[in-house]
Amino acid sequence: MSSDPTGSTPSSEPAVSVQEFRTALRRWLQDTLEPDDPVARGVRRFRALTPADLTAERGLQARLHAAGYAGLTVPTEYGGRGLTAAHQRVFDEETSSYRLPDFGVASMTTALCLRTMLAHSAPDMLRRHVPRILRGEELWAQFFSETEAGSDLAGVRTRATRRDDGWVLDGGKVWSSGAQYCDFGMCLTRTNWKVAKHRGLTWFAVPLDAPGVRIEPIHQIGGEAEFCQEFFDGVVIDDGERIGEVDDGWTVARTVLVLERGFAEEGATVPSLAGEHTDLVALVRASGRAQDPVVRQELATVLTHDYAVAHLEQWIAEYMAGSGGLDAGVAAYAALAAGTFTPERAKAVMRIVGRDAVLWPAGDTERGAPALEYLNSRRKAIAGGTNEVQRNGIGEQVLGLPREPSFDSRMPFDEVLRAARNWSGRVG
Amino acid sequence: MDLRLTDEQEMLLKASTEFLAARYPRSRVRDPQARPDADYRRQAAELGWYGLLVGEDLGGGSLSGEPVVDCALLARALGAQLQPGPFLGTALAALALAADGSPEQHRGVLADLLAGRSAAAWAVVDAGGDPAPTAGVSARRAGEGGYTLHGAKTAVEGAGDSDLLLVTGTSEAGPTQFLVPRDAPGVSVQELEGLDITRRFAEVTFADVAVGPEALVGAAGGAGGLVDRMWDIACVLTVADMVGAMERDFAAALEYSGQRIAFGRPIGSFQAVKHLLADTSLLLEMSNALLFAAARAVGSGASDGARLTSMAKSFVSDSGVDLVHNCFQVFGGIGFTWEHDQHLYLRRVTTDAALFGDAVSHRERICVLAGL
Repeated sequence: MSSDPTGSTPSSEPAVSVQEFRTALRRWLQDTLEPDDPVARGVRRFRALTPADLTAERGLQARLHAAGYAGLTVPTEYGGRGLTAAHQRVFDEETSSYRLPDFGVASMTTALCLRTMLAHSAPDMLRRHVPRILRGEELWAQFFSETEAGSDLAGVRTRATRRDDGWVLDGGKVWSSGAQYCDFGMCLTRTNWKVAKHRGLTWFAVPLDAPGVRIEPIHQIGGEAEFCQEFFDGVVIDDGERIGEVDDGWTVARTVLVLERGFAEEGATVPSLAGEHTDLVALVRASGRAQDPVVRQELATVLTHDYAVAHLEQWIAEYMAGSGGLDAGVAAYAALAAGTFTPERAKAVMRIVGRDAVLWPAGDTERGAPALEYLNSRRKAIAGGTNEVQRNGIGEQVLGLPREPSFDSRMPFDEVLRAARNWSGRVG
Repeated sequence: MDLRLTDEQEMLLKASTEFLAARYPRSRVRDPQARPDADYRRQAAELGWYGLLVGEDLGGGSLSGEPVVDCALLARALGAQLQPGPFLGTALAALALAADGSPEQHRGVLADLLAGRSAAAWAVVDAGGDPAPTAGVSARRAGEGGYTLHGAKTAVEGAGDSDLLLVTGTSEAGPTQFLVPRDAPGVSVQELEGLDITRRFAEVTFADVAVGPEALVGAAGGAGGLVDRMWDIACVLTVADMVGAMERDFAAALEYSGQRIAFGRPIGSFQAVKHLLADTSLLLEMSNALLFAAARAVGSGASDGARLTSMAKSFVSDSGVDLVHNCFQVFGGIGFTWEHDQHLYLRRVTTDAALFGDAVSHRERICVLAGL
C-alpha cells in the first residue's frame, strides 16, 4: 500500500511474532500453572463441579485472561487478543501438559457458544458478553434438543413470542450438558409457526437466573447426572439478546452443527487416545487370556479401530484446514465413525473381560469401568444426531445422493404437526 | 476428501493417468494375452516411477521429501487403473540396491531399473508357508564368493514379465538378498492361476542356482533390517493398491445408484441403499486416513511405523472386501456379468487382502508389538 499523503504512518500495535509469543508463554506457564496429564484431563471432563470447584476454575480463567492468554483469536474490541490461528496452535501445543481452567463439559459448551456468537451476534451483544466469558464470569450451556426434537433439530417447539421490544419464551430443552453450572443458555426457539420448519427459527441468550427458568438434572443409566432438562414458563428476553436474525436461526444452527462435531479449531484435532478409553492391553493381561488367539484377534481389532477413528479425525481436520471451510457433511464422517465403533469397542471389551466385566467387588470403580463404558457406549451413536441422521448427511451432502422424499420442508410447521398425526404414507 | 498434493505429486499422477489411459487401458487389462512390455516400462521409467524410493544422488528422486507417501499415491493410482506389475517389485528392488548395493550395482543394474531397461520381481514369500520373509530359499557358499540358491518362493508378482528376481533368503550368515537373472540355469517360473485376472503371479523354484558375488545385495547375513523395512513398504503399497481399486469401484456404484430407477425413484434415494453407501464411504475414508498415516510413519522411520502398517493392512483388507461386496450389492444383477468391471475390483481387492500378510496375521503382529 502507498504511504499516507499526510506523512503519518498507521499506529497499530506491532503484531507479536509466533516465536516471541511462544517464548513468553512458556515462561509464564512455568511460573504460573500446575502440570497436568491427559488421564487427569479425561477424568475431569465429566466430573461434577462443587461451588468451590467453580470458584477456583473461574479464578484460574481470570488469571489466564489477565495475562493475555484468553481469547487469543477473539478480536481485541471484545476483550480478546486478535491473534492468528498459528498463535492458537502454539498455545495448544505449549499448554498441553499444563492444568488450564477446566469447567468440564461446560468449558466445551461455552467455547462453542462463544464461537457461534462471534459469527452471528450483533457487536453490542458481543461487547456485553464476550469479555465476561473470557474472564470466566459467564459460562454458557447449549439449549438445542427438546423431548420432541433431537436429530430433527429444526423441529423444535419451544415458542418465542414477541412482546413490546422483547420476547417471551415458553417450552423446554433437554440434554443440555452442565447447565447446572452455567449462567446463560444459547437457546433455539420457534418464532414463526406459519412458515416451513427451517424458516421460523430464532436463537436467544437465556439468563438462567431469570424468573420462569427451572433446571432439573437428568439421571443417566450409569448413575451420573451430567445433563439437565430446562423448563421455560413466560421467560422475558430482551431483543438485544438475540443471536442472528429473526426467523433465520437455521443459518446459525448450521454453524453450531459443524462446531459441535469438533472441527472448529483449525488443526486442533490431533489423535490422542490417552484417557479416552479403558486400557485394553492391560485388561487383556489381567484377564489371563492374553494367549487366547480369539482374544488376541479381538484386541487387535479394537486397537486398530481406535487408531483408524483417530486418524480419520486428523484426515478430516487436514482436509478442512486445506479447504478453508467448515463442512457439516464431512464432519458427519467423524460422528458416524464414533457412533459406529464406540459401541463395537464396548461390546468387544465385555466379551474379552467376560464375567469380571459384569460382576466386581463393591466400590472397586476401576474394575467397574468396562461396565460403565459399556452403558455409555451408544451415546455417540445417538447424541448430536443419530448414526442414521449422519448417514443421511453423508449420503446427501457429501455423496450427492437424491434426498429422501420430504413431507415437512415446505408445509407451514403448525400444519406439519397436524398432518403427521394422520400419517398414511401416501403422497398426493 | 484427499491429501493436499504438491504440484510435483499432482503432475506425476496426471501424467501417469494419461500414460495408462493411452498405453494400458481397460481393454488391455481385460486381455489375457496382454503384458506390460519393455516399452511400457521405459515410458513409466521416464515418469520416474521406479526411482521414487531412491535418492537423487543415485538417479532417483522423491517428489515431496516423503518418498513412501509419493509411492503410495502412485500405487493407489495404479490400483485404480487395475494395472499389472512390475511397479512394486522394481521400486523395492531399486530401494534394496540403493540402500545396500555396491557402487558397481549402483552404476549398473540400479541404473537399468530406474531407466526401465530392466524390471525386477520380488521373490519373498516362502512357497512352503513359513511367514518369515527370509524363509523358503537357502543359500550356500560356493566358489569364489559365489552362492548356490535352493528352494521355492511363491506369490511373486510379475515374475514372468521381469528379467530380474530379487530373492530374499537365508545364508549361513543370516538374512541375505540376491539379484538373480530370471533366465539363470536352475530358475523356473511357473505362472499360477488365480482369482485376480488383472495381474499375474508365479511360483519360482531355485534348483541349485549358482550365482556369482555380484548377485549379492549388501553383506551376507545383513539384510534383516532392510527386509523388514521393504516388507512394511510392500504392505503400505498393497494397501494403496486396494484403496485405489476401492475408490473406483465405490465411485462406479455411487454413480449407478443415482441412475438406476426402481419403484419410481433412483435407488440411491432409498435409505437402505443410501445408508449402505454412507457406511461404505466411511470405510473408504478411514482406509485412506490409515494408508497415509502408515505411509508417513514408515517413511519417516517413526517408532510406530510397524504398528500402523499392520493396522492399515488389517483394516483395509477387511474393509476392502466389505466395500467390494457392498458395491456388488448396489449393482445387483449387472455385477455378475463378465463385461461389467465390478468383478475385476472384487478379484483385485480380495487378492490384495491376502498378500503380504492377511488381516488375521497383521492383527497377531499388532498384539506382539503391544507386548503381548
